[in-house]
Amino acid sequence: MSSRRSRQASSSSRISDDQITDLISKLRQSIPEIRQNRRSSTVSASKVLQETCNYIRNLHKEADDLSDRLSQLLETIDPNSPQAAIIRSLINE
Amino acid sequence: MNHHHHFVPDFEADDDYVNANTNSSSSNLPRKPIIGEEEDGDLMELLWHNGQVVLQNQRPNTKKQPPSSSSSSAPPPPLDHNLFIQEDEMSSWLHYPLRDDDFCSDLFFPAAPSSERQASNQVTAARPPVPSTVRPPEPSSMRPPAPSSVKPPVRNFMNFSRLRGDFTGRGESGPSTVRESAKVNPSATPASSAARESDLGSRSAVDGGGAYTVGDNRKGKAVVTTEPARENQGTSSSVASKSEIETIVDERKRKEREAIDETECRNEEAKQGRGSSSTKRSRAAEVHNLSERKRRDRINERMKALQELIPRCNKSDKASMLDEAIEYMKSLQLQIQMMSMGCGMMPMMYTGMQQYMPHMAMGMGMEMGMNRPPPPPPPFMPFPNMLASQRPLPPQTRMGGYPPVQASDPSRVYGSNQQFDPNSSQAQFSAYMDPFQQFRSLHPSQPPQFQNQAASYPSSSRVSSSKESEDHGNQTTS
Repeated sequence: MSSRRSRQASSSSRISDDQITDLISKLRQSIPEIRQNRRSSTVSASKVLQETCNYIRNLHKEADDLSDRLSQLLETIDPNSPQAAIIRSLINE
Repeated sequence: MNHHHHFVPDFEADDDYVNANTNSSSSNLPRKPIIGEEEDGDLMELLWHNGQVVLQNQRPNTKKQPPSSSSSSAPPPPLDHNLFIQEDEMSSWLHYPLRDDDFCSDLFFPAAPSSERQASNQVTAARPPVPSTVRPPEPSSMRPPAPSSVKPPVRNFMNFSRLRGDFTGRGESGPSTVRESAKVNPSATPASSAARESDLGSRSAVDGGGAYTVGDNRKGKAVVTTEPARENQGTSSSVASKSEIETIVDERKRKEREAIDETECRNEEAKQGRGSSSTKRSRAAEVHNLSERKRRDRINERMKALQELIPRCNKSDKASMLDEAIEYMKSLQLQIQMMSMGCGMMPMMYTGMQQYMPHMAMGMGMEMGMNRPPPPPPPFMPFPNMLASQRPLPPQTRMGGYPPVQASDPSRVYGSNQQFDPNSSQAQFSAYMDPFQQFRSLHPSQPPQFQNQAASYPSSSRVSSSKESEDHGNQTTS
């Protein structure tokens, strides 16, 4: 790689490095499997991103399941109760 | 790669053979070579020459165009073969000229004939009308620029133009390459190769399919300006053309290696002395570039996918998008915790939950405070008290011991600026349900104090474990 190329890349790589740092720190915090299995810095950004996407999809699915459950529960209780309001607010989110 | 080696010694002799073949066979693609080993050698060579010889004995056509007068005289080989080969050969082509300047010069600039030959090579592969139109500018462009850096890009453009003519019916990467070549052609005039490649890169990025083809251009070692082009293309085109790129890149990689070997043989032949070191270096650099580009494409694709998952993400900046992704993920986690707790609480709502919750809240709040003394402004927990309007719970729900704890926690953790209203716990509970949304619209002055309360709602084990592990994660990673 020519010096010019590295110079050109440096300005963008500064941002990229920060991004990658964010990425990795985020996953370290949030994704159990990465945190437990690979605590080293060798985790690739690509894998981290992939795990993040998968994790968010899982969260979505879990949230949907919980919403269904809550809606079912909502039907079993008095709709005017405060609890119902809570449940509704939970589901609406 | 045995045939490569076979081919090397036959290189000289091959020319004669090729000449004979050329003259005899105009452009029958699937012509079987007389010499058995020549097949492979020719085949490889075809890959290397990128196209004129679509498959097998095209090299003769490409090599000896000058003797056979105008290239246009050679009828184009069967398009199907050309199509299939061209793509692979394109990559090999791109690498080939880029890698070795001397060789390029041999091929292109020993004189006009060579350039013509080069152009004619393309012509044979492509339809006559297309290359004929392209050829005149290209050879002229190729000739004047002495520096090798100019040659490769122009050559690439020639490839693209040729491909465009041929790829009408092509499926997979055809359209992308067609688009790119279409764009390339107008700019094929030799203004500045570097600029051209950058433009190509940006245009390819727009197409989405350009990542593959532009990357080839970018591989030119002499062209440094392509780097930004690659970046552009990577960000914008990775997702759309990922599948294409993956298959294409893999295939190209293989062909490139083969082409590289062939080129290396040729280079050694042609340069006599400079060959191996420079070719090895260039090859290593190209391989590295290819892998780097693949990696970047993969990362960009994942970034786009992540952006799709995040609702209302209007950030174009990668870093900010990642930050939002992080917050969104945390808010999702909390929301799910809340909901699951709500599910668990539902049966108990009428029983003793009211006392249970305060205790939980207290425990969690204190834990939260202890675990996170320097509270990262929990942006996903902006529970303003403005939702106090939703306070269905009677005052009994006021958490007896909670307020005192809250008073201390917020002050300790968040610097407390908010009166804590237990009656608004319900509202906050509801508000909590959309922490991410709250975060987005959160007034910065809103105290995250509710975090203690809200966070405490979820099962203590979960919260504590997650928070603690989070701390661990932070500590260990930092």
